[in-house]
Amino acid sequence: MATAARLGTRIDVSLLMGCVVLSLVAVALPAEDREPIASALRRSVVAPLVGLQRGAERWRTAWATSEARQAAADSVALRAVNAQALQLENDQLRKILGLGSRLQWGFVPAEALHSTAPSEDIVTTMTLSAGSTAGIQPQSAVVAPEGLVGKVYKADPTMSLVILYTNPDFRASAMTADGSAFGIVYPHAARASGAEAYMLELRDVPTRVQLKPGTPIYTSGLGGTFPRGITIGNVVQEVKTSEVWTRTYLMRPAVTPSRVTSVLVLTAQRVTQGTGNVWGAAVNADSAARKIAAAGDSLAKQAALLEAQARAAALDSVKRATIDSVRRSLGAAPMPMTAADSAAIKRGAAPGTSGVPGQTAPVVRDTGAAVRRPTTPARPDSIKKPR
Amino acid sequence: MNWTGAARTIVVCAILIVLHFTLRPLLAWRASIDFLIVALLLGAVRLRPGSAAVYGFLLGLVADSLSVGGFGASALGMSIVGFSASWLKAVFFADNLALNGFFLFLAKWVFDLIVLLVGIRSANGIAMQIFVWSPLSAAVTAVAGVIALSLLKPLMEVRTA
Repeated sequence: MATAARLGTRIDVSLLMGCVVLSLVAVALPAEDREPIASALRRSVVAPLVGLQRGAERWRTAWATSEARQAAADSVALRAVNAQALQLENDQLRKILGLGSRLQWGFVPAEALHSTAPSEDIVTTMTLSAGSTAGIQPQSAVVAPEGLVGKVYKADPTMSLVILYTNPDFRASAMTADGSAFGIVYPHAARASGAEAYMLELRDVPTRVQLKPGTPIYTSGLGGTFPRGITIGNVVQEVKTSEVWTRTYLMRPAVTPSRVTSVLVLTAQRVTQGTGNVWGAAVNADSAARKIAAAGDSLAKQAALLEAQARAAALDSVKRATIDSVRRSLGAAPMPMTAADSAAIKRGAAPGTSGVPGQTAPVVRDTGAAVRRPTTPARPDSIKKPR
Repeated sequence: MNWTGAARTIVVCAILIVLHFTLRPLLAWRASIDFLIVALLLGAVRLRPGSAAVYGFLLGLVADSLSVGGFGASALGMSIVGFSASWLKAVFFADNLALNGFFLFLAKWVFDLIVLLVGIRSANGIAMQIFVWSPLSAAVTAVAGVIALSLLKPLMEVRTA
């Protein structure tokens, strides 16, 4: 019994010593010999445990990065919101810059600060960050890239108060692009809510003029407050009123006051000299078209007048030639030349023509008769009958 | 130890080994829990000292194959710890959780000491490791081992009709 126990103890100690020796050998092995053994273990016996450890580390990494990922997603969302606001502001500033470059001079840029009173449902006034020190005066026109905003009501040294087109005291003389209709723009009396809250009325339009929906309306320049050609809005529909001789139209303004953040205030000198082609070419294009049409009409009228004069001169020539022939046949002296014929001969043109280069072709009908000497009898076949 | 007891011990040790390679990476504590030491002590007290040394040697090889350096150090440490635990098995048979926890703490610290001394590469921070992080890791291992033994006790007990 004691021998068996002693033998067992020796075996145990031997096993321990064997394990210790093997461990020390493993420790003492060079790195290039240890790594193949470790790699073989990882690929065979320990492979399932390696898979478990790798999966656990993946879970931990996913869990640890989930918060960072969520934070990143929140940051991106926040930046997207800010970027949208910045983009809107950037667009407005770009438009303001574009408007400023088109106007070139005679304006004061200002930042719009909305100050709607608690009792007001819609924006009717606005405070500007520039005042009389910057050159702003009362009654100056306030414009945005989209069109008319309002006018300055009061100008302090460092800030100004603007009444918008929604203000009950606002008025503006307006017209269509072709100038066929004029009227006065008022804020719409029966205000609705939402997008319909900011509407205008174009009153005092002559009854003979009927405006179609969508017709753009501009400032007419009458009155001296607003220069000609600033976009006010578009016609929506006609409003039925008790007026007999005038029409009233409902208008949708081009500018939404609540979205205006930057404006330009036109100086008095700029209002006097006009803004030119700034808010689109509609007004000037229409004016040019009308001028071209008028010029064409003038030319046609002038041509018709010249043709009538030539026709009359030809008739006179025929008449004179006929009389001369009759008088010659009767033995009497021929008729003397008229002053007009003499002047035409002096200019080198035939009598009855204007003498203007390029305008003789339509009116030359009887040049031979005009320069024919009185002693030479006229041949009947050389005289063309006037049409 | 009969076959039923051996099977139960193998199952419990397998659970602890799996926990070592799943729960420990998930927690990733600086002072980590060493479930291999718990599995080693739990198995060693049911084996002869020589077999416990071989068992420790095999567990140490598994640990060494997954470590960056010091191949063989864990095998040496676990062989010694396993042999000692089996030699001192009477202590572990005591039904006292605090005593079991103390010996878990001691086993882990001794194991870390052997690994650090055998697999030493530089003296930088070794004192900090021996006297701060190793005791902390041993304490965490002891707590986790006591909890694991308490939870797995119903599985280890042999029921009699």
